[in-house]
Amino acid sequence: MPRAAAIAIASDDAAVDERSLIARAVAGDRRAARALYDAHAARVHRLAYRISGDAELAQDLTQDVFVLVFRELPKFRGEAAFSTWLHRIAVTVSLNAMRKVKRLRERETDLDEARHHEHEGGDLDPDLRERLAAAIDALPEGLRLALVMHTIEGYTHAEVGLALGIAEGTSKARVFEARARLRKALGGFLEEM
Amino acid sequence: MDDRKLDELLSDAARSYRVPPEAPLDAIWARVEAEAFAPPAAARRPVPDWRTLAFALAASLVLGVLIGRVSVRGARGADVAAAGTPLAVSAAEASYQREAEELLGSTALLLAALSTQGSTGPAFAQLPEQATRLLTTTRLLLDSPVGRNPRMKALLQDLELVLAQVARLKSRRENVELPLITQTLEERDLVPRIRSAVTDLSAYDY
Repeated sequence: MPRAAAIAIASDDAAVDERSLIARAVAGDRRAARALYDAHAARVHRLAYRISGDAELAQDLTQDVFVLVFRELPKFRGEAAFSTWLHRIAVTVSLNAMRKVKRLRERETDLDEARHHEHEGGDLDPDLRERLAAAIDALPEGLRLALVMHTIEGYTHAEVGLALGIAEGTSKARVFEARARLRKALGGFLEEM
Repeated sequence: MDDRKLDELLSDAARSYRVPPEAPLDAIWARVEAEAFAPPAAARRPVPDWRTLAFALAASLVLGVLIGRVSVRGARGADVAAAGTPLAVSAAEASYQREAEELLGSTALLLAALSTQGSTGPAFAQLPEQATRLLTTTRLLLDSPVGRNPRMKALLQDLELVLAQVARLKSRRENVELPLITQTLEERDLVPRIRSAVTDLSAYDY
């Protein structure tokens, strides 16, 4: 958890769980709201960026997600985990934005920027890495989201299902199908090497 | 390609595929805080709902009826001069128009009162009674052979529905009707239609 959130929570004598943070945030306690934000913002931003591939848009999406979350927080009944509810909002907001801004995939500057921030470690062939990214980008949206959320971001299938509004089994099937398509897309390239 | 090789590739993708640059989380929070926790008036542009529109309609009706009365007097003077022309309205049509004007105005005032007082206002007990009276007028106008305009007829039919709902608001405990009334007003776009009807009333061919 980021330092700001840790300080905010540690300053309370009693252990503060997420539920009480939510209750305080609903009552207008901005410090509690900030603690919730600190606990989840980085992951939401990362997911928004993985979905959009656009640095500025990912920031805007993160902002939009949390504005919506804090406005809707009084309606949150705690039937699902807060993070599940939050990530469902994050996925919905991101996908809606993506549908409105269809030019994203063509924005080479942003893809270049993404590549610029790529991790330098590892011994994977740069061409293969680029092929892999292109193959993931070429997947249908439903398959790509399931693959990115589960395989790349580490969400469980149950979390993916709740966030995307699909059954857990459907999430598994989508990841399976995405992997099959990636194998097919990259198979020829690997044989050439 | 086997699964093991694909797993290796995807494991690498977790570190290489669209890896986000460091997010300016403090700056984003500042924007979130400004937008989500600002006072309502500054945070959100007010969206006019039927309550706002009912208020505006009630206010504009007071002015509109006054202007209408003045212009009707002027028009009647002109009618006398142009007696026998097609523009002259029959007594029945004039009566219908006057009743329709009053009905629309009174209904707008009733909706405005309902929107401000809900089921807790002091005058709430009188609203069902007023609605019952207006309902009677509405049905008389609907049955009138003078009323031939299909738009006005459709509006009156919708008014009949909502007035019947208000008439059923017998006690403050029976709040279940209020959401239904709101739904009817919004789904049928009733308040803007009343406003439009009032504006166009003189143009209607009864």
